[in-house]
Amino acid sequence: MRVAFVTPRYGPQVTGGAETGARLLAEHLVRRGGFEVEVFSTCAVDRVSWDNVLARGTSRLSDVVVHRFETVGGRPPAFKGLDERLGLAPWHAESEDVERWVELNGPVSPGLVEAVTESGADVAVFYPYQYHPIVTGIGRVPMPRVLHPAAHDEPALYLPLLRDVFQSADAICYHTEAERRLVQGAHRVADKPQIVLGLGVAAPAAGGRVGGEILGIGDRPYVICLGWVAEQKGSAMLARYFGLYKERQRGPLALALVGPVSMEFAPQPDVVVTGAVDEPAKWDLLRDATALVSPSAFESFSLAVMEAWEQAVPVVVNARCEPTRDHCERSGGGLWFGSYLQFEAVLDRLLADGPLRAELGRRGRDYERRHFSWPGLIERYAGFLAEVVERGPGPRPGPGSGAGAPAAQPAPTA
Amino acid sequence: MSRPSEGTAPEATSGGRAYLDEVMAEIDAAVRRRRQSGDLPLRVERELDQLFLRHAPLGGRGGSLEEPLRLVDAAVFVDPVVPVASKKSGGALVKRGVRQLTLWYVGYITQQVGQFASAVSRSLHMIDQQLQELADRLDAETAPPPEVIEVPSQGEGSWWVDAALRALAGTPGRVLHAAAGDGWLVRLLVEGGVDAYGVDPRPDRVEAAQGTLDLREEQLAEHLRAMEPGALSALVLTGVVEGMTAGQRGHFLDLALGRLGPRGRLVLHSASPAWWQADDAPPEADLSAGRPLRRASWEHLLDRHGFRVSADDGPAALDYLVVAARKDAPPADR
Repeated sequence: MRVAFVTPRYGPQVTGGAETGARLLAEHLVRRGGFEVEVFSTCAVDRVSWDNVLARGTSRLSDVVVHRFETVGGRPPAFKGLDERLGLAPWHAESEDVERWVELNGPVSPGLVEAVTESGADVAVFYPYQYHPIVTGIGRVPMPRVLHPAAHDEPALYLPLLRDVFQSADAICYHTEAERRLVQGAHRVADKPQIVLGLGVAAPAAGGRVGGEILGIGDRPYVICLGWVAEQKGSAMLARYFGLYKERQRGPLALALVGPVSMEFAPQPDVVVTGAVDEPAKWDLLRDATALVSPSAFESFSLAVMEAWEQAVPVVVNARCEPTRDHCERSGGGLWFGSYLQFEAVLDRLLADGPLRAELGRRGRDYERRHFSWPGLIERYAGFLAEVVERGPGPRPGPGSGAGAPAAQPAPTA
Repeated sequence: MSRPSEGTAPEATSGGRAYLDEVMAEIDAAVRRRRQSGDLPLRVERELDQLFLRHAPLGGRGGSLEEPLRLVDAAVFVDPVVPVASKKSGGALVKRGVRQLTLWYVGYITQQVGQFASAVSRSLHMIDQQLQELADRLDAETAPPPEVIEVPSQGEGSWWVDAALRALAGTPGRVLHAAAGDGWLVRLLVEGGVDAYGVDPRPDRVEAAQGTLDLREEQLAEHLRAMEPGALSALVLTGVVEGMTAGQRGHFLDLALGRLGPRGRLVLHSASPAWWQADDAPPEADLSAGRPLRRASWEHLLDRHGFRVSADDGPAALDYLVVAARKDAPPADR
C-alpha cells in the first residue's frame, strides 16, 4: 500500500509533537513492511518563520521518501493580532477572517498539495489539522483521507472554516480519548471511522552516564521537563514556580529543562537549561530524574510522559491538560497541579515519599507498555489504513460549506 | 471483512484509581493548610494563579466559571506602585522619581478602577452562585439517563436477530448499534458486509472486544449529538429505550431520527411491559424512571414522525422488534 503523509514540517530536527508523531508512524510503517511511504512537507523547521532551511526536492530519510517544497514567507506580525482577536470568540469568526488566518498561519507552499493529488497514493494522511497545506489540501486530494488532528483545546479548533477539514476526512486517528472528546465537542464527526491510537515509545538507548553529571549538578536530585522550552509550553510558569519553591523550601532539588529553547531565559539558581540533547543523554537524564514535570496545558498526547514512564519515573502534569491528566488517571502513574500551592505540595510529597514514587512509576510503566509499544500499535494502525482504503473516498463537503456555519462552542460539562 | 480496530486505554482499576484519589486528597488537604497558614501572601498567590491561567485551554476540564473567576479575582487589584527595576544604569532612579511624582494621580485612578473591578467581580460571583444553585436544583429534579437493560432474548441466535440482519442487509453507509455490548451484533453486521460500529456507555462491555471491531465507550445521546444530521444509514437500538421517561424518549427520538439519512432505518428491539412487570425482570425495571412502551405505541410514535413501521412480537410477547423507514424515502440507487 502506498501512503502519502502531509505535514508542515518533517525530520528529526523538528521538535513539534504532531510532526514527530507523523515521522514515527511513517518510519514504523515502512519498517513493518507492506507499506511504501512518501512524505509531502516543506523545507521549513521553524513554525513561525517557516524559513526554507532544508533542501528542496526529494530525498530519503530512514527509508521514507520525503518531498520538500519551499514556503513563501513566514508569519507576518499581523498574524498575532488577528489570532488574538479571533481567539476571543472563535466560533463566531467571519469566514474572510478565518481564510486570512489560515494564510497567515502558513506555511503557504505552492505545489505541495498538487504533488499529493498527483502522487497516486492509496491513502493520504494529514497531520495535524490547522496548517495551510492540510486546510487547503484535505478536501482536494482524490484518494481516501485520514486526519490526525493532534488537537488541543485552543481557539483554532473552533474556527468555522476548519469544520470542512474535519468533515473532509474519511477517517480520524486520535492520540487519546480526551482528544476524541474534545474534537467531537467541537465538530460533528462521531460517525466517522476512527481509532484512538497514540504513539509508541522507542526502546531506551541509554548512554551509561549519570544524569546529574550530564547536568553538572553531581548527585543532587532533580526534576526534569523534557521538550520544547517555550512560553506556550508552560516553561516560563514552571521556572517561576520552581524558583519560588526553592525560596520557600530549601534543599538540593534542581530543575532540568531539556530541549530546544525558543524563549528568553534569564539564568536562575537551581535551574539547568541544557538545550537539545542526543537520545542517549535524554534517556540517562530521564532514568535518574526524581520526576518528570509536564507543565504544558496544550498536549494532545505527550511522548515525554510516556518516555518517563518507560523508565518508571513518576510524572507531574498540568491539571488543565486533559490528555496528560487522563493518562495519569487511567494509569495511576502521575499527579497533577492546578495552582502554585498544589505544585508545591505535589513536589514535597514526591520528594518525601520514595514508595509513592516507585508505585507511580511502576503503574505508569505498566500502562505505557500495555498500550504504547510499537509492534502492537503499528499493527493496529496498518489495519486501520487498510480498512480506510477498502472503504474508498467519501463525499467531500461543498466548497466553503463551513464558512459562516458556526462550529460548536466548547460544551459546558458538569 | 474486518473493520478498523478501535481501542481505548482502559480505566485504571478501581483500586488503582482509589489509590490516586487518596494521594491527591492528601495533597489537597496540604494545600488548604498552607493557604490557611497565610505564609504565601495572597497577592503572590494571585499573580501565580494568573500565570497558570494565562495559557489554560478555552473549555478545559470542568468548563465551569470557577477558573475564569480566579483569573478575574487575580486581576481585580490594580497596583499603583509600579516596579522600578531597570537594565539601564540610572533607569531605576528615574523611574522611582517619576513614580513618586505621579503616585497621587495614578493612585486616584487605580482606586476607581479597583472599585469598578471589585463590583464586577462580586456580580460575577453572585451569578456563578445562582447558576450553581439552579444546576443543583435541576440535578435533583432531572431523571438520570436510563441504564442499559439486558433483555433475555438479546444476543446471537435470538429470535429477532435474523430479521434485523435482513432489514439491514446491503445498507450503504454507517450503521450504529447501541448498546453494542461486546459487539456481537456489530460483528454479525460486519461479516454481512455492513459498515457497522457500536457504542455502549458501560466500560467493561466495550473492553472485551477491543482491537477487532469499531466499538466506543460513549453515552448514546452524546454520541448522536456529535454527528451531522443525516449521518447514519441505520440505527439499531437494543436495551436502551426501555427505562426512558416520556420526556427523555421524546428528546431522544427527535435526536436519533434526525441523524438518519433520507433512506435511513431504525431497528429497535425492546422488552414489552409484560416482561418489565415479570418477577424475573432485572432491578432496573423497578429503579428506572420510565417504563417500556407497548409495540403499538412505538408504531404510533414513529408513524407520527413520518416513518413506515413493520413489527413482530417475540415468543409469549415478552419482547418485540420494530423496523422503521421513512415514508418519503427516495428509491434506492440501482
